[in-house]
Amino acid sequence: MIRSLRSVALAAIVSAAAIGSAPAETLVVAQNFDPQTLWPNGTTASDNLNAGSAIVEALFWVDPDGEEFKPLLAESYELEDNTTVLVRLRPGVRFTNGEPMDADAVVHSFNVFIDPAKTPAYARVSDPFQSVEKVDDLTVRMRLKYPFPPIRLALSQLYIVPPGYWNEVGLEAYGQRPIGTGPFMFDSWARDDRLEMVVNPDYWGTLPEGIDRIVWRPVPDDISRAAGLTTGEYHIAANLAVASALDVERQDGLKLVAVPSYRIYQVILSSLPEHASPLLDKRVRQALNHAVDKQAIIDNLLFGYGVPLRGQVLREPQLGFNPDLEDYAYDPDRARALLAEAGHPDGFEITFKFPSGRYAQDREVSEAVAGMLAEVGVRTNMVVLEPGEFLRQLRAKELQPMAFVGLAPQDDPDLQVSQYHSSWRYAYLNNPELDALIDAGKQEMDVEKRAQIYRDAMTLMYDEAPIIFLYGGVDFFGTSARVENFHARGDGRFFFYDVALR
Amino acid sequence: MLRYVLRRIVLTVPVIAGILLISFLLTHVSGDPTDLILPPDTPDEARALFREKHGLDRPIWVQFYVFSLHALQGDFGNSLRFHEPAVKLVTDRLGATTELAMAAMALAIAVGIPAGVVAAYRRNTAADVAIRAVSLFGQAVPSFYLGIVAILVFAVWLGWLPSGGRGTLAHLALPAITLALGLVALIARTTRSCMLDVLNQDYVRTARAKGLGEAPVVWVHALRNAFIPVLTVIGLQVGFLLGGVVVTETVFSWPGVGRLAVQAIYARDFPVVQAVVFFFALIFVIVNLIVDLLYAVLDPRIGYR
Repeated sequence: MIRSLRSVALAAIVSAAAIGSAPAETLVVAQNFDPQTLWPNGTTASDNLNAGSAIVEALFWVDPDGEEFKPLLAESYELEDNTTVLVRLRPGVRFTNGEPMDADAVVHSFNVFIDPAKTPAYARVSDPFQSVEKVDDLTVRMRLKYPFPPIRLALSQLYIVPPGYWNEVGLEAYGQRPIGTGPFMFDSWARDDRLEMVVNPDYWGTLPEGIDRIVWRPVPDDISRAAGLTTGEYHIAANLAVASALDVERQDGLKLVAVPSYRIYQVILSSLPEHASPLLDKRVRQALNHAVDKQAIIDNLLFGYGVPLRGQVLREPQLGFNPDLEDYAYDPDRARALLAEAGHPDGFEITFKFPSGRYAQDREVSEAVAGMLAEVGVRTNMVVLEPGEFLRQLRAKELQPMAFVGLAPQDDPDLQVSQYHSSWRYAYLNNPELDALIDAGKQEMDVEKRAQIYRDAMTLMYDEAPIIFLYGGVDFFGTSARVENFHARGDGRFFFYDVALR
Repeated sequence: MLRYVLRRIVLTVPVIAGILLISFLLTHVSGDPTDLILPPDTPDEARALFREKHGLDRPIWVQFYVFSLHALQGDFGNSLRFHEPAVKLVTDRLGATTELAMAAMALAIAVGIPAGVVAAYRRNTAADVAIRAVSLFGQAVPSFYLGIVAILVFAVWLGWLPSGGRGTLAHLALPAITLALGLVALIARTTRSCMLDVLNQDYVRTARAKGLGEAPVVWVHALRNAFIPVLTVIGLQVGFLLGGVVVTETVFSWPGVGRLAVQAIYARDFPVVQAVVFFFALIFVIVNLIVDLLYAVLDPRIGYR
């Protein structure tokens, strides 16, 4: 009774804000897993972040609609020099427990963020930060250890927590019952069953229209998640399998949101001398690229939902994408000729490792690649790996000489290309020329010069062919047709800022 | 009797210790939770801190020693992902799993035993053939497949029941039936064959000869004597049930221990895997002890020393 009275009151507030809209109601979201923590800096898993960031907000965000970098709790930032960042905060924002969102809260959150013992999953982007100082109540100055071109990426991942409440309950309890500045507030959580949030009536920004409550349901099975969307039990179902996605697309009353993911699928072709194999010869690596019909894989195994790579690991809108490159054409004759030239007129035998159950269609795609390689005489010994063992081997540089992987670094050319630097933990190549370009890009703060460096790196990687360039993945979200303006990002993230339920 | 129970309980200890050792080794040699929990591009220093915090940097025999020492005090350590004690994660979900398993078991007994009796009594009739055919089907179909078909038919097409989650009896129906079907089949088949043996016994003929009706002869005299092997099967099938919940809970989004176990194994969340294995082993051992004691109740000739 009390709860329903409260929702009526909240609904009144929300509809007052959005004149003419229907009474607000509960939005139900099905993801794969229950969050482990609702503190967004606790993990990088999207299931956790999607739920957590409805409550706890960052300084900036990257809007999935157009991938634009926008202010959130900050109003703006400016680079005073290459290693000093001045951040101006939004005035008049309070946490839902009444604490002010000000420079003190940012300084506190910053110091938690840069401590790798507390935020190990963010160590890669928090490492460049050295220290922070309060300039006045609404301004902070951050100092970097070295110039860090992906500074925007880092600023969009620094989540602001209320220092008083944090110090009172501690990191772990905070993640179980967070307090933030966001459009929603924590209400209740039955683990592995339902997590409930209510709208924050004092929210500083514009609230999503028609929603007074969000219920998060963990539904691990792909087919069950799609079934619950069809029956109307969920308004949003994340991470659909391709077969369910095709189904959702056909149904009235449902919408399919297909998002090009940041995940780049490729076949590692190790050219490290300690991994002796015919792949040490560049012509062999190029031959394998000519031997695989990538479009056929996209059309037949992925039902058209894959993005051709254009012979590089950067995506079309990304800084450094090289529009002059085209992928290796599917040409088995050319492949055979290159193999013969490299001294393998009859092909050769090679080990090919792949995971089963780690990525969408991983086994099917790997088997298709193996079949195409057999056409040009490359006979593969297929080794299937359980996902946990697969990741261990990836980092231990044991996925050699050949392996199918889908790498999804964060959205910056440096974080993408660094994976091919010889010093990288799972780099299966050692090319000093490429290393030099990556090192240069890492420090170049000038955007145009930086783009040119990565375009050059892409040209070099294309020629060296350290991988078989396969395709970019696509993520699927299904929503009720009543959900408007729902967008998701290539890293599986979605927000409620402009969403409406009508 | 008491001595027997005590001896059985003491024997449980090495069994469970052995199971814990095997699961400890299997999970530890087959992958590193650091790789599964932190993103692949995490710098080495942050990885080292994580490993140190969770004691993963120590040699495996030291880890096992520390684990055993704490486990003896009922402490399986904190989950690597949830920052909560592993035992609490399991006990929080045990209620949901018990509810599902008991419902499935009750359903299986309520349907399986009468079906087996009918099949035996009317052997080689249409009823017998039908029951045997359904049993064969029930045992042959994998539960994940059955669960998905059940969701499509009863939730999506007919709209009678919710597709998943826990709450009302309607939520319980599909997962319980899915989990029960394999058991129904097994119980029906076992009951049928035991009843066939018993129905030819002298005491059944005597019961009929002294003028008892068919119903008491079959359902009281015969069934009670046929029941011991059935009870044994039921006890052993608790293992099947605990294995079955792993699949059923995942398909039906049931917030139980089985689903926790799957996720813990995929992430190599060692403390949680160990806690789940411990509780499952304990339940299995206790249920089978109870079954052994029930023999004496059913058949006074059986005694325990």
